[in-house]
Amino acid sequence: MSLISLNNICKYYHMGEQTVKALDHINLSIQRNEYIAFIGSSGSGKSTMMNILGCLDKPTEGDYLLNDKSVALLTQDELADIRNIEIGFIFQSFNLLPRASALHNVMLPLVYKGIPLKKRKELAMKSLQKVNLADRTDHIPSQLSGGQRQRVAIARALVTNPSILLADEPTGNLDSQTSKDIMALFDQLHQEGQTIIMVTHEDDIANHCHRVVRLSDGKVVEDYLNEHHIEAKKETLNV
Amino acid sequence: MFSLIESFRSAISSVRAHGFRSFLTTLGIIIGVSSTIAVVSVVQGLSYSINQQFEGFGSNSISIRSSTPRSERLKGKIARITAEDVLAIRKNAEGIEFITPQLGSNVGGTSPLKYKGNQSFAQVAGSTYSYQNVQNLDIQYGRFISYSDNKSRRKVIVIGDKLREDLELPKNPVGEFINYAGEWLKVVGLAEPKGSFFGFSQDNFAILPYNTMQGLNGNLLQPDIFVQLQLKNIENLDEIKARLVRILRKQHRLKPAEDNDFKIETPEQLTSGISSLISTMTVVLGGIVSISLVVGGIGIMNIMLVSVTERTREIGICKAIGAKRHHILLQFLIEAVVLSLLGGIIGIILGYGLGMLAAASIPGFPPANVPFWAVAVAFGFSAFVGILFGIIPAAKAANLDPIDALRYE
Repeated sequence: MSLISLNNICKYYHMGEQTVKALDHINLSIQRNEYIAFIGSSGSGKSTMMNILGCLDKPTEGDYLLNDKSVALLTQDELADIRNIEIGFIFQSFNLLPRASALHNVMLPLVYKGIPLKKRKELAMKSLQKVNLADRTDHIPSQLSGGQRQRVAIARALVTNPSILLADEPTGNLDSQTSKDIMALFDQLHQEGQTIIMVTHEDDIANHCHRVVRLSDGKVVEDYLNEHHIEAKKETLNV
Repeated sequence: MFSLIESFRSAISSVRAHGFRSFLTTLGIIIGVSSTIAVVSVVQGLSYSINQQFEGFGSNSISIRSSTPRSERLKGKIARITAEDVLAIRKNAEGIEFITPQLGSNVGGTSPLKYKGNQSFAQVAGSTYSYQNVQNLDIQYGRFISYSDNKSRRKVIVIGDKLREDLELPKNPVGEFINYAGEWLKVVGLAEPKGSFFGFSQDNFAILPYNTMQGLNGNLLQPDIFVQLQLKNIENLDEIKARLVRILRKQHRLKPAEDNDFKIETPEQLTSGISSLISTMTVVLGGIVSISLVVGGIGIMNIMLVSVTERTREIGICKAIGAKRHHILLQFLIEAVVLSLLGGIIGIILGYGLGMLAAASIPGFPPANVPFWAVAVAFGFSAFVGILFGIIPAAKAANLDPIDALRYE
C-alpha cells in the first residue's frame, strides 16, 4: 500500500487559445518514510506537482490517491481538512504570519484542527523544541533570521503530526551555511520516520534525498535512487 | 463556537495591530452613536423634567379651563369660567379638598406694574392661599397670601424674583408698595427663584388675593378663571368629573345638544400631549442620526475590503495550513463586528458625556437622561452594521483561491 499514488495525472492551463500542459500523464507512487525530491528547471511542472500533492489544486485528469482515498471527489472543506491533518507545508518564502509570534504561528494549524488553547501551546512548544527554537517563541518573524524563520515554518508543518512534509524550495531564500543546517534537520526528521517530499532546482539539495524524480515539460524524465544513500544504508545494515 | 472564540482573539489582535487605522475606521460609528445618544439623552432629560413639573400639580388634582367649541367661536361667542361658576363648584361639588381659582388680568399675557418710576410687565394672577401648594412656591422673604387676605380683600401682593429685579426693588422687598391697575399694593412676600424653563424665566409673576383681583378688574370685564381642584381621593375622579360637568353645564345653560364650553383636564391628559410630541421628536432625530451609522458602516466595509486585499497572502497561508471557508469568513466578519462594536461603545460613552455637557451648558436645562433602551439600540445597531457591512469583505476573503492567494505579492 502506497502513501501516495498518482495515476495519469494531468494538469492543463488554458492561456487564451493555447493549452499549456503543466503535468502530462504522470504515474508515480510514493511509499511511507520516503525522502523524495522533485527536480527540474522552472516551467517543468514541479510547482504544479507540489500544489496537487498538497491538495491546494485538483488535477484536470487522473486520479490522486492519498492513503488509498481519492482526492478528486472531496469538497473544498474536506481538502482543507487534509491539508490540515495529513500535510505539512514548508515554503521557500517561509510564509509566516508577520504579526504573530513564533509560538502563535506554530499554533495556527491547531486552531483549525479545533484543539483547545492549553493543549495547543503544549504541542507547539514541543514542535519548536524539535527544531531547536524553544528560546525564540515570543519573537515575531521580522525579529528572526532566515534560518530561524524556516525552522518556525518547519515546526508549524510538524505540529499536526502530518503523514507528509511537503517542502517547496525550502532553502531557496537561505545562505549556504543555513541551508546545510536546514537540510540536516530534514535528514534528521527523515530518520525519525517522517515522509518528506521536496521540490527544488538545486542538485546538491536533491542529493540529500534518497529518491529523485526529474520533471521536464510536465513529464517524468528520470526517477532514480541516490546511490550513495543506498550504499550508506547497506553499510549500516552490514554493521 | 470554538472558532467563534478564536475569531474574536484574532480580531482583537488585528484591531490592536492597526490601532490608529482601526480608530479612524470606527470614527463614523463613534460619531453616529454618540450623536444619537446625546440627542436622545437630552430629549429624554427634557421629557423627564416636564413630567416632574407636572407632578408638581399633584397627582390628585384636576383643572378646569374654558374652551370655546369651534362652532361657537364662529358665532363670535367666547366661553368663560366666571366667578359664579367657581362659587357654584364650591357649593355643589363633593370630594374636593381645595379649590384654587386663578384669575389672570389678561390670560396668557402680561400686565404692567410700577415702582418708583420703573415699569415692568409680568404675569399677574389672583388666587388663594392653596395656590402656594399647587404651584410648589417657596417663600424667600415674608409670607404667601393668606386665607384672611382673600376674605377681607387686602391690597397685598406676592412677587417673583425676576419682577423684583426689574422693578429695582430692594433685596428684601417686603413692606414696599407697588402699583398695579391704579392701586397701590403692599408687597408681603418674595418667592424663592425657580430659574428658567425652556429659556423663559419662571420668576416674572405677581400673585394677589383672588377677591382683590376681582375687585380690581371690576365688573366691566368678564374675567376668565382657571381653576385647579385638589381631590380628597383620586379614586372618585370619574364621579367628581361627571358632577363638575353637570354643574358647569347648568351654570352655562347649555342645551343637551350643545358641546361643553369648558375642559376638565387630569394631569395625565396634560402630560400625554407633551409626551407624544417628545417621542415623535426622539424618533425623527434618531432616524436622522442613524443615517450616519450607515455611513460609518460603509467606512468599515471599505477598510475591511482594503484589509482583505492587504492580507490576501495571509489568507492563502491560512488556507494552505487547513483553514476552511467558515474560519476565514468568521475571522473577517468578527473583525468587522468588533470594530463597529468598539465604535458603538466609545460612541455611547462619548454621547453620554456630550449629552451631559449640552444639558449642563444651557442654563436651566434639565439634566440629560440616557435610557437603557437607547444604549441597547445603539449597541445592537452597531453590531448589525458590522455584520451587514462586514459580510461582503468576509465572503470575498473566504472565497479566495489558496494558490492565487499564496502567490499574491
